[in-house]
Formats: sequence, structure tokens, C-alpha cells
Amino acid sequence: MKRVNLIFIMITVLLISTNITKAQESNLKISGKLLTDQRFLLESPNDWAWNENRLTLNFDKKITDNSKFYSEIWLRNIGLPNISSSADLYNKNIVDPYNLEVREAYVQLFGFLTEDLDVKIGRQRITWGTADKLNPTDNLNPYDLEDILDFGRHRGSDAISFDYYFNSEFSLQGAYIPFFQPANMPVGIFANALTPAMELPQGMTLMEFTDQINMPAYNLGESSTAGLKFKGFAAGFDFSLSYVWGRDGMPISIYNTFTPVDAIGGISINSDLSFYRTHIFGADMAGSIGGVGVWAEAAAFLPESEVIMTNDLSAMYALPSGSVTQDSVMLEKEVYLKFILGADYNFANGTYLNVQYLHGFINERGRDNLNDYFFVQLERKFFDDKLKLAPLAGGFIVSDWSDVGNNYALVYVPEVSYMATDNAEIILSAAIFDGKGDNIFSGLKDYNMMMFKLKYSF
Amino acid sequence: MKKIKIKTIIFSVLIIAGSMFTSNAQDANTILKNVDNVMYSPKDMAGKTKIVLIDKAGKEKTREATIIQKGTDKRIFRFTAPSSQAGIAVLSLPNDVMYLYMPAYGKERRISSSVKNQKFAGTDFSYDDMEAKPNAEKYTPKLLKTEGDVHVLELTPKSQKSEYSKVIMKVHKTNFYPVSAEFYDKGNKKIKEGKSVYVKIGNYWNAQEMTMTDLKKNHTTKMIMSDVKYDQGLSDEEFTVRKLKQ
Repeated sequence: MKRVNLIFIMITVLLISTNITKAQESNLKISGKLLTDQRFLLESPNDWAWNENRLTLNFDKKITDNSKFYSEIWLRNIGLPNISSSADLYNKNIVDPYNLEVREAYVQLFGFLTEDLDVKIGRQRITWGTADKLNPTDNLNPYDLEDILDFGRHRGSDAISFDYYFNSEFSLQGAYIPFFQPANMPVGIFANALTPAMELPQGMTLMEFTDQINMPAYNLGESSTAGLKFKGFAAGFDFSLSYVWGRDGMPISIYNTFTPVDAIGGISINSDLSFYRTHIFGADMAGSIGGVGVWAEAAAFLPESEVIMTNDLSAMYALPSGSVTQDSVMLEKEVYLKFILGADYNFANGTYLNVQYLHGFINERGRDNLNDYFFVQLERKFFDDKLKLAPLAGGFIVSDWSDVGNNYALVYVPEVSYMATDNAEIILSAAIFDGKGDNIFSGLKDYNMMMFKLKYSF
Repeated sequence: MKKIKIKTIIFSVLIIAGSMFTSNAQDANTILKNVDNVMYSPKDMAGKTKIVLIDKAGKEKTREATIIQKGTDKRIFRFTAPSSQAGIAVLSLPNDVMYLYMPAYGKERRISSSVKNQKFAGTDFSYDDMEAKPNAEKYTPKLLKTEGDVHVLELTPKSQKSEYSKVIMKVHKTNFYPVSAEFYDKGNKKIKEGKSVYVKIGNYWNAQEMTMTDLKKNHTTKMIMSDVKYDQGLSDEEFTVRKLKQ
């Protein structure tokens, strides 16, 4: 097996290098974007909620007629300096933190081995789904949840993928990601947005929490993710059917050890977290009915096995021997379905309307834990498209239909954007949250904010 | 006897009037078909276009793009400048199927056909104006008059969804290329004016410069074609989502 792999890798390298040696001199296209994203809370004393300054660099080079190189690099400063001692002043990484991120870097070979096959090798985004930004079927790349308001952002994965075109209307896409990469979680004021509140027995107070993550072993069976998608076009509609064998990118608690730290109910919890395996069957479609753009996308998640969380309370009872544990099922081995339906329309006066209904947000899992989200975006351009207003933008979320009054959230994100020049866009917007109950956006109601962005493309 | 004569006269007048109308319609149809023959006779076309947007103060903005087109219903329009739009591409296929590719998202997106009445990429041309569908399929023509070097046609859209109630097109009498067009809204008010300058490249007449003015906004768009090549043998495979994303 190892030998076969080696031979395969050698052949691949040989073929790529043959392509590269054939390379003709052509221009390397460099483009990019400078983004500054500043947000402050509306509530006094108007704490700074977000500071991001990002330089995106894109390198695009056609190596030969049938191959190209592409990369996207982020150089950025995010967050606020966390200076706590004079020693920190000697550390430029603390005083002025910058980081470099390779979002994508791949070589793409067109007509590889046969003219109907395109292959992409390297760090890449494999974007699946027909819906707008919220794509239940987009599960190959890990979620980049750093900015919770930038729904659906993913990081690139080190992968090999291919597209085989049967004809101009039907194709098969496959992807193999050798190493599992978990999602990165929200930062700054959004840090706890996706962390569910911990319910403790009455009389207990959490004094300390530690955890360790059990990463999947780095071998073919444990760390790999693979996906296959069949795409087609029929009767005026695009559609696809897909399958992913992967892991949920957000960890789930499987073993908690409770330890008393004082005599008045204070406890510490040490938690073992892991990423469970799951099968994901997807389907999507997009088309136009009577001038209205329509799309639908659904993903059926089937955990490979039941996920059980064990609470080890042995230390609480100080028994001379044996252990006291409580098991609870965190996730049944049963299918749960996330889906989205959407439509958009361009009115004759230039107004654009986009509505979507989503069942099951990014972080939600299990049949009984999926909430309903209604999103709307109404925008119109003025002054030769220089000014764009989105007076109605946001969402309404219901987490329990039997008691909507206590289980809802409202998100209102009006936006004004102005193209100062062909390449410079200034965006001013606000994010207003309200709600009750246990859902991601009602938890943000103390974080109403103003946002300013400048994007300059070059 | 007198009654029969009157009937005969009325009948004859009707026949003559009918045949006049038919003849007029035939002329108009023939002229419009000739226009389509001139505009769409190349099997395929590839070229570059410079789009100059001129606002009411005379301030200019420039966009650049490449175009490839096959027949009357397959086209890829890809922006190359300015930087904020470079890489954005639109693939138009038969039956109003359109895809938009935005490099920042890395995937294609179906565009709803309601976009047809919208301005194309900030220009004064609508997606509908840019459509390469033969005029004879889009409009019912009527020959208004022939004056000087041009035939003047009144074109009535066949589709109720069109933003126009009529288009008055002037067609060169000898070479059958459209010289100018006036577009009227549903209230019969003139809203846009277009002009074209044609030059012959090989066997084909090419609209080297097209100007469209939005009379309400006093905004003008000039599309200047260059490096135009005809009949390069572009295959259908060039007009696929696969190629759009490359």
C-alpha cells in the first residue's frame, strides 16, 4: 500500500514538473485589498469591539496554457494589544501584533491526464452550496468563526481535489483532505458566542474550568476528510448531490471530571473534548422562476456513532473505592437535517431583495437543537451606483415555536456604502441585537455596535 | 347591381390595404433580418472592450473587459479593470441562464432573470440591451419611413417583461447595420439614446464604438471595441461554468 502511494506521488510530481518545465514566461498578476474594519459598542463607555487591519495579497500566475498558480495571503493586525507588564513593551508581537495567514496557495492543472479532468493541489477553498453565504452543504473546509458577523467564512484546507466534466452540463467533483483541521472559534467580544452555557447541579459553583482536546490521530483512517459531489443542469435548474465523510469541526465534551475546591460548593471541571465523525449527505439547486432567483440547499448529518458525555463525580463523593459517573447522550446516532431556502429579485427601479430561511445554524447539531432563522436584505443603489443603501437587513430567529416571546432574537444590520473612487469603498453600518432565550444572537444583545469599514482594491 | 359594385370596391380596398400592410411588414421584417445578418453572421467573436462612463458633469470612469461570444446566445464578459472589479465575469447562455463569477467568493452564482432590466455593471446598457439575441426574435418591426441613408424602424418588444414600449431604430440602407436607436419606456417617453459606429473587419461589420445615453440621468456610456477577431473556431466548451471560473 505504502509502495503504491509512493509511486502515485512520484508520478504526480513528475507530471506537475513536466508541466512546469514547459512553462512559458507570462505575467504574474498581483492584486489585493486593504481593509480596515473598526467597530465600537453603542453603550457607554463605547468600548472598542473590533479592530482589524488586513492586507490581502493575491498572486495569480498562468504557468502554462493548462496550469496556473494562485494564492491568497492575509497580513493583518487583529484585536487590541494586550500589554500587561513592562516586559511586554520589549515584545513587538504584543505591542503591535501582526500575523500572516496563507488562505489559499495551490496549483491547478486543467485537462490533467484527460482533457475533461481538472486537478487542484494545495491549500484551497472548496466552496459548496447554492445559497447565499449560509451553506449547510459547505463542510469540507473548516469554519473560520473568528468574526461571528461574517457568517459562513471558511479557511482553506491542504487538499487535493478534482473536477471531472462528463460534458458541459454534468460533472463530478472529488476532494481529499489528509489532515483534519478544526474550526477556529470567535475572538474578542464574540469569544463566548458559540459556547453553550454549562448547567450545574443546584448548589454548585464553577470556580475553575480546564480542558484538553483529543485530536484525531494523524493517520488515513482518523484524520482524513473526503467528499464527492455530482453537479448537473437540467430543465433550467442547477442541482447537485454530495457526500462528505468528515468530522464536525467544533469540539464536543465527552468526559467531565468534577473536583470540589472548597466546602461551599465550589468545583473545578476538567473536560475532555473531541471531534466526532459524521456522514453528510447534501443536495442543492438554483434557478429562476418567473424572474425570481430561487435556491434551496439541504444537508443530512448522520453521526457515525452516538456521542455520550460522561460526568465523573467520584471526587465529589470521596468514596474509598469505585467511581460515580453519570452518562448523558449529547448526540443520537440519527439523521438531522439542516436546510436553507432562498429567493432574490431585482426590481425595475434598481432595488434588490434577498430573503432566506435557514433551519439549523453553523453551531447547532442534533434533531432537537436546530433553530429557525429568517434573513432579509433590501438594498438600492443611487448616484450612478456610487451610494448603496441597505435600510432593511438582518434576521429574525426563533429557538422555540411554542414560546416565541421568550425564545427569539432580532438582528438589524442597516448599511450605507459609498464608492469614493473606483477602487475605494467606505461602509458604515450598525448591528443591533435583541432577544430572549438560548440562541446565538440573543446572547449578543449587550453588544450593539457601530461598524466602519474601508476597502481599497489594487 | 349597385350593391354588388359597392361590395366589390370595399373588398378591393380591403385587399389592397391588407397587401400594403403585408408588404410594409415584409419590408420591415426583411430589413430587421438583414440587420441580424450583419450583427450576428460571425460564428464567434473575441475582443476587448473599454467602457467609458461619463456622468452629467462630464467626469469619466473607465472599465475594461474581455468578451468572447459564440452565435447569438453564448457569451462570457470578464472585467479586467478597475481592480475592484477585475476577475468578475458573467456567462450568458440560452434561455436566460446567466452565471456571475466573483473571485472573492470562489464560486459561480446563478443570476435571476429579473436582472435583465437592470443596468449592466453600472453602464447605461441593461442586461437586456447586451443580450445577443437576434432583433427579429425580440421585436415586431414596422417600417416608419426611409430617409437619406437610413430606414427608420419602429420595434415593439414581443416580451411583456421588456422595460421598453418601443425602440426606434435607424438602419443603414445599404449595409444594414443599426446606426442609432431610441428607447421608449412604458409611458412612451424617450429614456435612452444609442449610437453606433461600424467598421468592417474582414467580412464583417463591427460595432467599434457604441454610445448609450440615459436621458433622465444625463449619463453616457461608451463601449469601444478593440483586438476583435472573428471566426476563431471557439468551441461550446469555452462557454461553460468550468471556463468561467478559470
